[in-house]
Amino acid sequence: MTAPNSAERKACWDARDQLWKCLDDNGDKAASCHKFQSEFEANCPAQWVKYFTKRRDFLKYKEKMQTEGFTPAEGPQQPS
Amino acid sequence: MLALRCIVGDLRGAGRLLRAFPLVSAPPRLPPMTQRRFLSRGGSPSASSARLKLRTRLVVTLLVGGGLAAAWRYVYAEKQQKLRQQRVEQLRKVALGQGAFSLLDHHGRPRTKADFLGSWVLLYFGFTHCPDICPEELDKLSAVVSALDGDASLAPVQPVFITVDPERDDVAALARYVADFHPRLLALTGTPEEVKAAGRDYRVYASAGPRDEDGDYIVDHTVLIYLVSPDGLFLDYYNRTKSQEQITESVRRHIRNYVTLSTP
Repeated sequence: MTAPNSAERKACWDARDQLWKCLDDNGDKAASCHKFQSEFEANCPAQWVKYFTKRRDFLKYKEKMQTEGFTPAEGPQQPS
Repeated sequence: MLALRCIVGDLRGAGRLLRAFPLVSAPPRLPPMTQRRFLSRGGSPSASSARLKLRTRLVVTLLVGGGLAAAWRYVYAEKQQKLRQQRVEQLRKVALGQGAFSLLDHHGRPRTKADFLGSWVLLYFGFTHCPDICPEELDKLSAVVSALDGDASLAPVQPVFITVDPERDDVAALARYVADFHPRLLALTGTPEEVKAAGRDYRVYASAGPRDEDGDYIVDHTVLIYLVSPDGLFLDYYNRTKSQEQITESVRRHIRNYVTLSTP
């Protein structure tokens, strides 16, 4: 399969941006953004859908770390 | 050197003025009569001389202050230059890009590393199926080259794209891809062994991800733009955080300094 050209890339990025804007407006509730989700999947190769979804998760996680702080997980208990 | 002479000249000038008007160093204690006359209009000779001394003191302070500021600026510029030279030395020791690669360009012509000697090269490793990073970096690279093209005093810089995905990125795929970027962008591909050798040369990390049912996959790879000098020496690198303006400025500085260093 050939790689997307410039116009196809732009269409995919625009669909992604619209989906992300919808998710931002609706507090990340995927249920409210079905239409944008299907448009996003139609305009982007499957690998890109997976990539951008992971990217969004990462960006949200990063934002959470920056605003709420990081609580280290409890490691293995040290022998006393 | 000239700056240093200016500063010394300034200080000498200031010193001369200071010696001519000894009252400048003493605390300004004028007798009350003179002060009152100083405040009134059209003062007597002693009041006008007091005003003159104030102006002189002001001029001297400004000269000394200006001299100090110039000295500080000169020393700061020297330090920046030394830091830049240290960085070039470190990169020289790392000695990336020493090998000789032999690849095909997007017209199908064979190209070796020797073909690029004599010109400045901005090199980027990527792949055509890249979702967002490679197009963005190539857009940035194209903008940098266009900005440098606008400067007539600089030699033209050659943008080069080497694929990390030789299985899918053949000559035809690359030809399609580069059409979206700078007209001089040259894309290179070859057999997986040749491409891996070129990547190893620049210590580029590349790892293909899992394939999905279409056989599509994403290649995780180092995202850097490399600057290579006309004698094939790797001089500098720029990551995602460097803006187009920063890269343009850095390349311009490298080109100018390089010319100066090579002339006896």
